Amino acid sequence: MVSYPSSFVRFLFCVLALTAGLLWTPSGIALADGPPQLELPKGKECVKPTEWMRRNHMDFLKESRELAVREGVRVKSDSLKNCATCHSSREKFCDRCHAYAGVAPNCFECHHYPK
Amino acid sequence: MATLDRRSVLGLGGAVAAGVLLAPGVSLLAAPAEKTGASADRRWAMLIDTNRCTADCTACLTACRKENNVPLFGEPARDIHWIRKVTIRDKDQRRPTVTLPVLCNQCEHPPCVHVCPTEASFVRKDGIVLVDEHRCIGCRYCMIACPYKARSLVYHETKRTLESNPEVPIRSKGVVEKCTFCVHRLDNGLQPACVDACQKAGKEAMLFGDLNDPNSEIAKRVRTVATKTIRPDLGLKPRVHYQGL
Repeated sequence: MVSYPSSFVRFLFCVLALTAGLLWTPSGIALADGPPQLELPKGKECVKPTEWMRRNHMDFLKESRELAVREGVRVKSDSLKNCATCHSSREKFCDRCHAYAGVAPNCFECHHYPK
Repeated sequence: MATLDRRSVLGLGGAVAAGVLLAPGVSLLAAPAEKTGASADRRWAMLIDTNRCTADCTACLTACRKENNVPLFGEPARDIHWIRKVTIRDKDQRRPTVTLPVLCNQCEHPPCVHVCPTEASFVRKDGIVLVDEHRCIGCRYCMIACPYKARSLVYHETKRTLESNPEVPIRSKGVVEKCTFCVHRLDNGLQPACVDACQKAGKEAMLFGDLNDPNSEIAKRVRTVATKTIRPDLGLKPRVHYQGL
C-alpha cells in the first residue's frame, strides 16, 4: 500500500510552488518590460508643460502642421526644427516611446528631423 | 452690510452678459502677435520674358529639382516635372521659334481645386494653389483637370539623400505634387528658386513679385509691356504671365 503525504504537507507544497512561480521571472524579459528609458532633453523648459505635451503632442503637431500648410502660419517655436534643439535624437526620444506604445506615426518618412 | 435683492442680482447679471455680447471689439482671446500667415493683400505672380530665355539654358529646371527634392525616375511617362521647358514652333515659320519654361500657372480659378474630392488641393489666402499632401489620396482628378500639365503623381518611393534639401519634405508614394512657387521660401521673404537661378545665370528672364503692390517691378512691367497668359480663353486667370509669346 502506498502512503501519501498528509493533506497539510500537500497544501504547503502547493503554496511554495505557487509563490516560487510568482517570484521567479526570466531575467531577459524583466529588463525589456517597464516604461522606456528616454533621453532627457537638453533645454530646461518645453514650449508647453511636459505633462500636457506627453498626452497632446500629436494634436499639437497636427494643428501646427495644418496652420503652416494651409494658412502659411509658420510659428518658429512650434516647428519640428525647434523640437530638435532640445530633443537632439529622434531615435532615443520619439522612436523609443512610439515603439513602446505601439504607434507608428509616418511623419519622418518624408520630413527631415534636424540633427 | 448692503444686500441685493433677487431682482437686482438678476438684472446685474443680465447687464453684464449683454455688455460682453454687444460690446464692439471685445475679444476674450488675444491672438499671439507671432502668428501671421499668408495675407490676402498679396497677389504673387511671375513674368517670363521669352526673348531672354534661351533653348540651351536649364538653370531653372535644375534649381527647382534641387530646392524641392523633385526626383527623376528615368521613366519619361512617370517622371515628375514641376517646371518644363516647352518649345513653340510656328508651322508656317512666320514667327521665330521660342522656348519657355512652363510651370503651375497658379490660376485664380483653379480647376484642380474644384475637382479635388478631399480638399487636399486648395488656394492659400495669397492666391497660391497648393496640394496638402497629408490629405491627398492620389486619385489624380486634378491631373486630368489641369490644362497646363503642371501636376505629377509620385509613382515610386523616394529616398532622402545627403544632397536633399532638409527644408523641404520628400513625398510619399501615391500623392500628387506640383510647383508651389517655393512657398517655404516666400514665407521667409525669399523668391522662388527658379527665379533666383535665372538671375544668377544672367538671363533675368523670370521676374517674381506682388501684383497688388503698384510699385513692384512686376506690376510696372505688366502695366507697360504687352503680356500674355497661356490659354486665356479658358478663363482661369493664370498668374504666370509671358512676354514676347
